[in-house]
This record gives sequence, structure tokens and C-alpha cells, in this order.
Amino acid sequence: MHGNPLFAAADISASGLAAERLRLEVVANNIANAFSTRTPGGGPYRRQDVVFAAVLNQSVRGAAGRKGSLSHPGGVQIVGVADDMTDFHRIHNPGHPDADKDGYVTMPNVDLPIEMVNMITASRAYEANLRAMQLFRQMTEQSYGLLRNQS
Amino acid sequence: MSLSIPQSEILVRLMDAAQLRHRVTSQNLANVNTPGYRRLEVSFEDAFAKALSKHGEKGIASVTPRVVEGASEATRQDGNTVDLDRELGSLNKNSLLFSTAVQMLVSRINMMRSAITGR
Repeated sequence: MHGNPLFAAADISASGLAAERLRLEVVANNIANAFSTRTPGGGPYRRQDVVFAAVLNQSVRGAAGRKGSLSHPGGVQIVGVADDMTDFHRIHNPGHPDADKDGYVTMPNVDLPIEMVNMITASRAYEANLRAMQLFRQMTEQSYGLLRNQS
Repeated sequence: MSLSIPQSEILVRLMDAAQLRHRVTSQNLANVNTPGYRRLEVSFEDAFAKALSKHGEKGIASVTPRVVEGASEATRQDGNTVDLDRELGSLNKNSLLFSTAVQMLVSRINMMRSAITGR
């Protein structure tokens, strides 16, 4: 985190908000392209997923369990957006321009129920991060009250 | 006679711990969708109460809030142990604790002020 350590909690919540927002964007992109059979790279659209990692005192704690300092949590880091390498769906639709000689079309590997669940968890997590930020603001203002002449 | 504000040390330490706990809970919430993340917790009150009852207000200087890996009853399928509702509850409780400490400190400061000004 780059900000003032006094407001570290706000930075942590901000990183969570940014991460959940990206997650929602990726879900929206997956849903929008659920039926895209053509991409610039050729072949149908491949669904994408976000990769997050926890930040503890600047060092990312990997799956191997390498620990940063527990007392300096730094929020969440967006490692990247990865392609989901599961198989494409194949549906029989001989009239489709992209159908192969047997009449099958290779469709994106997007499953709408999975995207819906991801969307709900992302928006719930976004709300939670927002609430944490609001409470931090309240607490900080109460501390400022001590500095004022009468509280 | 002491000129320090009564119990201010205890209240300030409590506010410090609440600030740290808020940061740690925010960290848990920010990582609610990070696979393999283990939730963190602040351990403070038990050691603090013990030191307070044993040595009084002088004994609390040595007690500092510690961040520990939290106990978790349920691990999700992705190895994450954060429970959104529990964290939100702890967040609300913690901010209430902070407000309480601030209000008590404010009333003590005001008491001190009226003693000084005689009004």
C-alpha cells in the first residue's frame, strides 16, 4: 500500500472494492460473450476468471504458505485475468455459419448459472467492503471529535 | 493528586486495538474471494483484562494487540475461511466498541475541562 499508514484501513477496503469491481466486469464480459463463436484469435470466446492474492506487508502470500507480516495487512492484489481452459460446448445447429461439416457448432465454455453465482458473490463482497469503508470513516471522524474543542 | 485524565490510558489502548481490528477485518473482507486465504484475527482483550486485574492500570503497558490466524469452523471449497456475515458482525461490534471508548474519553476530558475552568 502506498497511502498514509493512518488510513491503511481505507486502502485495504479500496483494494477490495477494486478487486470485486473487476470481478463483476469479467462476469459481465463472460455473459455478454456467452454466444460469441468468433474471436480475433480464432475459435469461440473462452470464459475468463480473475485471480486474487492476499497482500501482507507488501509480500504476496502464495499458495506455498510463505507468510508476510500478519500485523500489516495490505488488502487484496489482482494477480490477473486467466482463461478458463475447460472444454467448449458443442451444439448441433447445421444452419449456423460456423457449423462444421457434421453440423456441430463450437460454443464458448460460458455457463450462465456459474456467472450468475459469481455475480451475486461479487456484489455482496463489494457491499461488505463499502460498509467497512463507511465504518472506518465514522471511526476516524469520532477521533477527530477528540481534537475539536467540544465533542 | 494525579493530573492525568482518569482511565485515559485504558481507553486509548482500547481504541488502538479497535483500529487494528478494523484493519484486520477489512483485510478479511477484501480477501473474501481469494482462494486459500485464511482469515486473521486480533487477540487483545483477554490478555488485557488479565493484566488489568492483576497489576492495575500500570500493568497494561506491556500488553499489545496481536494479529493471529483466526480460528475457523468452516473452510469453503476453495480453501478460504472468511465468513462474510461473521466479519460484518465483528466489524459493527468493533466500531461500536470504538464509539464507546471515544465517548468515555470525551466525557472524561469534559470533566477535566470543567474542573479547570470552574464552569
